Amino acid sequence: MAYGTQRVLKGINLDVAKGQVIGYIGPNGAGKSTTIKAMLGLVAGYSGTIHIFGQNIADGDGGYKRRIGYVPETAEVYESLTAEEYLGFVGSLYGISEQRVQDKALALATLLGLKDAYYARIASYSKGMRQKVLLIASVLHNPDILFLDEPLSGLDANSVMVVKDLLAQLAQHGKTIFYSSHLMDVVEKISNRIVLLNDGTIVADGTFDELKNLAQEKSLEEIFGHITGFLEHQEIAEKCLAIIQGD
Amino acid sequence: MKDFISLRVLDRLRPGLEIIGLDYPTLRKILQVKLIMDSRRTPTVFNRNTRQSGDKNGFIRSLWLYVLMGLILIPLVVAGDNYLFQMSLTFAMLMFFVMTSMISDFSTVLLDIRDRVILLTKPIDRRTVGLARAIHITMYLILLTMSLAGPSLVASFVVRGLWFGMAFLLGLGLMDLLIIALTALLYLLFLNFFDGERLKDLINYVQIGLSIAILLAYQLMGRIFEVLKLRVVFHAAWWQAVLPPVWFGSVFAWGFGHNPEGPILGLALMAVVVPVILFVGYVWAMPLFESRLQRLAMGKGASKPQNRGGRRLARMFCRNPEERSFFEFAGLMMARERDFKLKVYPSLGFAIALPLLVMFNPAWSHQSHQLNSGHWYLAIYMMGFMIPTVMMMLRYSSQFKAAWIYQAAPIQHRENIYRGTVKAVLVRLFLPIFAIESVIFVLLFGTGVILDLLAALFALLIYAVLSFRWLGLGLPFSEPFQMAQQRKRWVIWLLLLMLGVLAGLHFMFTLLPMGLYLYLTLLLLVNGMAWTWGFRQNKPKFLAAEDSVS
Repeated sequence: MAYGTQRVLKGINLDVAKGQVIGYIGPNGAGKSTTIKAMLGLVAGYSGTIHIFGQNIADGDGGYKRRIGYVPETAEVYESLTAEEYLGFVGSLYGISEQRVQDKALALATLLGLKDAYYARIASYSKGMRQKVLLIASVLHNPDILFLDEPLSGLDANSVMVVKDLLAQLAQHGKTIFYSSHLMDVVEKISNRIVLLNDGTIVADGTFDELKNLAQEKSLEEIFGHITGFLEHQEIAEKCLAIIQGD
Repeated sequence: MKDFISLRVLDRLRPGLEIIGLDYPTLRKILQVKLIMDSRRTPTVFNRNTRQSGDKNGFIRSLWLYVLMGLILIPLVVAGDNYLFQMSLTFAMLMFFVMTSMISDFSTVLLDIRDRVILLTKPIDRRTVGLARAIHITMYLILLTMSLAGPSLVASFVVRGLWFGMAFLLGLGLMDLLIIALTALLYLLFLNFFDGERLKDLINYVQIGLSIAILLAYQLMGRIFEVLKLRVVFHAAWWQAVLPPVWFGSVFAWGFGHNPEGPILGLALMAVVVPVILFVGYVWAMPLFESRLQRLAMGKGASKPQNRGGRRLARMFCRNPEERSFFEFAGLMMARERDFKLKVYPSLGFAIALPLLVMFNPAWSHQSHQLNSGHWYLAIYMMGFMIPTVMMMLRYSSQFKAAWIYQAAPIQHRENIYRGTVKAVLVRLFLPIFAIESVIFVLLFGTGVILDLLAALFALLIYAVLSFRWLGLGLPFSEPFQMAQQRKRWVIWLLLLMLGVLAGLHFMFTLLPMGLYLYLTLLLLVNGMAWTWGFRQNKPKFLAAEDSVS
């Protein structure tokens, strides 16, 4: 798959099976979010084909989206609405009955500790609370595939644990999760397959153990540095320190 | 970094500012950055297609318009000798414009809490930050005042002489101080009682009210000059003491109008004393103001669901569930989005007034004023003037980035989005004001016009579908307001012309025997078609990516 005139993506070939948790990592601007947006039909102008549930997404009427949940990178929501109203709106777009949306959304919000602010406008929410609204919105319709772009950003430590466990359990129940993040330790823990993207191409693809052998490094952070050719982090930090202290 | 003339003027005041304990270099730096940011902001009034070359301040470029408006003040200042009345009226008009602009354009500057994170976390005095804010606004108010009052000020120097001109200039300065201090102290009061969203709503309603007042004042301008022709005898009365324009008027009555009475002198002194006291109070309260601003970011959570009524309406008017969710959604957004309200609600108030203003225009007064005999009820079609405006504004939102959801969600038929949204506009905004107007019309014309009003309503419902279609079937709340440009101007003109065509059609049918019933039947048929097929489009059914909302 290639995308656009600037070629953000330069040939991505990925086969994903059911029940996998794919950690999708790469430096800033590598094309992670673009891949996810392309799969959701949010961007056009790419060459190549994307098949989801065995169907080319360009052929159908977008009905495949009924089985997909998406948490975008930036927490943009219609913030003049309350969480109740926004979730009700999104749920109805996925064709869920009104009462069912209300019940499900309120139950999930209560479990994620959002109940007190549930009927207040999202404009008054903190970053983490918005993120919870987006997470709830992405699972209301019980999707088979989840595209998560930095889903933990802004969440408090307790919620992070809940969400991480939830993702693992969703995968056990056959959901496919596409997880894009910069937090290497989280990716390392929850993914059973890691795809490393650099400059629009896949530079590594395999389980954590396979990647460890490949790069001869211990942590995903180090593997990441090794593969993307970034080794001088310590040196740069030292130079920074010298500048900060040098008056 | 770029240096500004206004900052060099401010440099002259440096000793004075340092005496009250300000950190002048910091103040200057803050102001410089603010001015640079202003010059890079895309002004909404200008077409985005006209490429802007370099750093231009949109506000400054729009000042010539105020200079033109200021021309109408010249006769008021230089002709006649009823100083008290003329100068009071002059200052009333100036205050009205400047105060409106202050509230609508500079409230955001006064209540800006975004720079708090940047500024207040640094070792800077709160008073310096507050004063930078005040001076920033003052600079713009002075520019605005000088543009508005400039023509009449020059004229007064020429015709009335040096001292009169100087007094006018001084009065303008005091007026600006008064306006800034008054607005800030008013907000401080609000900040004490309200927080966050509710305060913003309150300011929003003040802005809407003022916009309606301006629209009406503009229409009534003709009549104000009618009043001017009369000999106005002006007596000092106790209630004038609370009207600031009268204070300023009194200055001229006392100094130049051979009017050395005690009460006039008292009022004239108010013009000097009150602004100074209020402004000193504002400077004194500045640290308090800065800390209270934090409340804007707070908001107490409501504990109850708020939208039961909307849901019932949605079930009543929409059968399709997709349509129903957009009916509800659009209804909520129209009631909550402040920018939308600010741009649309004034035209709702105006839509009520417009048919009445047309009917009671003094220009017709010499003709027979028997409303019953003519076809004056056709003026109800003037209400349709708000429809294209609202239909166009529908696609804009300050939260347009949230529109990714339209594409991420499996929306089957776009026409449901459109139909639900347009229905929401008609049911929540148009029908209520049409009902109010209908009551007024029935009171004016008698019950005989009820069927005509019904026909007009049906015609306007078709008109709404037509407007939405001609303006290009936009996804609701999916584009930034900056995009709301002049590009569809000609379509709007065409649509406004259509109103006349519809009224003409109505008139022609009334000439036929049983014509009104024929017209009604025809309208019902066309309505059925418009609401069934009016929102179809030739594009693929699902949301194609080339629309690229993201």
